[in-house]
Amino acid sequence: MLRTLLLAAALSLPTAAVLAPRAGAAETPTITISKSDSIALGLAPISGPDGAALTQAVRRHLSLLGYFSVVEAGKAPMTASGASSGGSLQGKVADYSGSTVLQRSYSGGTREQAIAFANDIVETLTGKPGIAGSRIAFVGTRTGKKELYTADYDGTNVKQMTHDGNISVAPALAPGGRKLAYTGYLKGYADIYVIDLGSGSRQRIVKFPGTNSGAAFSPNGSQIACSISRDGNPELYVVGANGGGARRLTKTRGVESSPSWSPDGSEIVYSSDQGGGPQLYRISASGGSGRLLSTGFGYCTEPSWSPDGKKIAFNVRQGGSFRVAVLDLGSGATRILSGAGDDARDPAWGPDSRHLIYAKGNGLYLIDSQTNRSSRLIDNLGGISEPTWAR
Amino acid sequence: MPNLLYFTRYALVGALALSLGACATTKKKQYAGTDDGDYITGSPLPDRVDGVSFLGENVDRHRFEPVYFAFDSYDVSGSEAAKLGPIVQFLNSARGSSQLIIAGFTDERGTEEYNRGLGERRAQSVRAALLEQGADASRIQTTSFGKEMPADPGSNEAAWARNRRAEFGVTR
Repeated sequence: MLRTLLLAAALSLPTAAVLAPRAGAAETPTITISKSDSIALGLAPISGPDGAALTQAVRRHLSLLGYFSVVEAGKAPMTASGASSGGSLQGKVADYSGSTVLQRSYSGGTREQAIAFANDIVETLTGKPGIAGSRIAFVGTRTGKKELYTADYDGTNVKQMTHDGNISVAPALAPGGRKLAYTGYLKGYADIYVIDLGSGSRQRIVKFPGTNSGAAFSPNGSQIACSISRDGNPELYVVGANGGGARRLTKTRGVESSPSWSPDGSEIVYSSDQGGGPQLYRISASGGSGRLLSTGFGYCTEPSWSPDGKKIAFNVRQGGSFRVAVLDLGSGATRILSGAGDDARDPAWGPDSRHLIYAKGNGLYLIDSQTNRSSRLIDNLGGISEPTWAR
Repeated sequence: MPNLLYFTRYALVGALALSLGACATTKKKQYAGTDDGDYITGSPLPDRVDGVSFLGENVDRHRFEPVYFAFDSYDVSGSEAAKLGPIVQFLNSARGSSQLIIAGFTDERGTEEYNRGLGERRAQSVRAALLEQGADASRIQTTSFGKEMPADPGSNEAAWARNRRAEFGVTR
């Protein structure tokens, strides 16, 4: 009840939100602002020895998460503040009258403290899940070869996961980010490998004759959907998380690729060119026939089903370059998010079903599907491709 | 109509390969899983041979000319199919256990994973054409590198045409 009242108060000042200067613009280069529905939130500099770093990190998270435009303390209905001492952060959010809305102590490193505080602010003020700290994975060519990297959703905390000097592509993170599946060519064929990110152990789990690629973990992590060509044609399959019990879902003369699961695990969306150019289809995870999803575009690939189940993001090919499109399953309408000629590729939904990441040239980008605001997260790891986001 | 013809051709090739396979091995349960055995889209690949892959040092990748494809297509056109005769002849005359690996590639356009699938489909189209001409299915593997390893690094129509291809590797 308290939250609802406070939020209503904040939303009653939408003009302030639109007119307020965007703090933190220097850290997050902005390409497009087509509209803004964010709430103004004050952020006072966090005091103490780690204060400057914490302030910067909290501001970055709050700006990227999209619900707020961060302004000076006191210039918004609510203000976040904090004090860092003895290795912990005392975080607080108060309204105009000084009433405390959120007060909590955070331990761990400054990264963990900033993530937890930012997520608490989002969840307390909006009721939506905070996604700061969630993990992403992608392919980078910094070393001259395609290797896999993981990072936080904001492009920080980057770790190189493969060092094979080979071809390592098509990453997929298991729920919670504990495992990384990908397509590797160590044996000269495309096979699916899984790395346990805790122990670092790696296993080749799908190695049928032909090409095995495009792994996607089911929402509960117990199954993997992928493309397998052992039958003489690339078809959509479901295997167990350890690679066993392969079960074929499709039988077409075309190319089935890039599966993505519905949030309840009952259905899979994928791309198939069985009817000519590649189009999106959905199929029951237990079998049956694929149903064409009408998008109005002739070349549709790389679908990603949103965690709330309502939308499918995918690539459309237009004028020789790719754009990110979102199909609303309720209305059947398709909306283009990225700009013409952007060549934005491989969109992947974040756990909040609001943000997407995509690759463009040497950049990894985050886009807010509500505002169309794009931010470049990474630009120093060579060519970037096939980003994926843990749920 | 073309689809029906295609289906018929593949059903025949599939049936042929299955019956050949059944003769070659008494136990014909090559893969686990719940397949119903109805390989409407082609004939299944034989098991890989250990130590044999397209990029292996024991493999000659220049013995046969590549087969080229139109944009976003995996159809082996008439002029390209003519390149396959010598390969069938080689496979069916080679002594010992010479293996053929068909590697499919795409141009740089198209998204990554779709291109991997398209490259594999190209390799499989070439394989189906070889089987149709009587090649020994037990000696042929397929692989796809998608848009990796372009034959021509350029970004123009001529380069793309050279990159939409299937290459052949044969064990020495």
